[in-house]
Amino acid sequence: MSPLVDVSQDIDDRVLVEGFAQVVRVDGGSVLLEPEQLSSCGGCQSAATCGAKTGPRNTMNKRFVLANDFGGQLGDRVVVGIAEDALVRASLTAYGLPLVAMIGAGLAGQNLIGGDAAAALSAAVGLGVGMVMARVHAQRLTARGELSPRFLRFAAPGERVGEDCHSE
Amino acid sequence: MQDYVLLLVGAALVNNVVLVRFLGLCSFMGVTTKVDTAIGMGMATTFVMTLSSTLAWAVEAFLLKPFDLVYLRTVTFILVIAAVVQFTEMLVKRISPTLFQTLGIYLPLITTNCAVLGIPLLNVGESHNFAQSMLYGFGSAFGFSMILAIFAGLRERIALADVPKTFVGPPIGFITASLLALAFMGFSGIHAN
Repeated sequence: MSPLVDVSQDIDDRVLVEGFAQVVRVDGGSVLLEPEQLSSCGGCQSAATCGAKTGPRNTMNKRFVLANDFGGQLGDRVVVGIAEDALVRASLTAYGLPLVAMIGAGLAGQNLIGGDAAAALSAAVGLGVGMVMARVHAQRLTARGELSPRFLRFAAPGERVGEDCHSE
Repeated sequence: MQDYVLLLVGAALVNNVVLVRFLGLCSFMGVTTKVDTAIGMGMATTFVMTLSSTLAWAVEAFLLKPFDLVYLRTVTFILVIAAVVQFTEMLVKRISPTLFQTLGIYLPLITTNCAVLGIPLLNVGESHNFAQSMLYGFGSAFGFSMILAIFAGLRERIALADVPKTFVGPPIGFITASLLALAFMGFSGIHAN
């Protein structure tokens, strides 16, 4: 694990990657949070197209909503955590399931029915089925909160990534 | 079945799109600073590359060749790729807005990736049937993703190493990439019996 990120473990023993965010709006029972630290990237020639670039527009685009069961107020700095494997799980769900279904159906169509047209049709059907499976699985993951950040604690004044006692 | 396995191994390792064909190098150097970013980008590219490779084959077989429009191949394939990227964006948004927040940043980068255009063009020249073209696209994309993840892991380690000041950053990255390419040359000796 890179020393440039802080990690901790939640009650389910999953490793969480921590990040800082600030409350930018309180809306009844939920808060809108804007992430502070985006990445450890120092910038490179591909910064113009990089998804980890800094800047007010990008931090605004990455705002997210959390339930305000921790009593957050406007301007509060909080530490949020997300499962370390959240990105991999999200990718496997969104891309892996439809792809595997499409390839499996296409191969089955080619070998069992025969012909390119049958294979193409089978692959299209497989892709559709895979998309439905991905949607169902994504809803399950979202309901379990595995893809969303969760509130861990309020940030201490001046607390930053790399200076936290939770570093590995 | 053996033919399919050989096709996959050949596309992923023997004719690896990054280290042997030297395509997609911008993504290879640009998104491999962290393993997680590389995996996210790799999976998105795998999906787009497989789908666009398959669709490009279909367009070539059912539209360009029958109507003698092969001279429009490059432009048509670019349109197919752009359409596939847009479709993927819509698909991920539809599957889950939460997933789209996590994964959506990688998609625009794929449109300009030369490997995504290169693989369908190479595929067309191999005279594959539909299933083979699908596997060829998937194998190539899997090889691309694998190399991204491996290289990202190496770069994360190198970032902690005591690299001479002159070589810090891209220089040591390129040296590492060339050593990786040398290692992958070993796969070129694989022959089917």
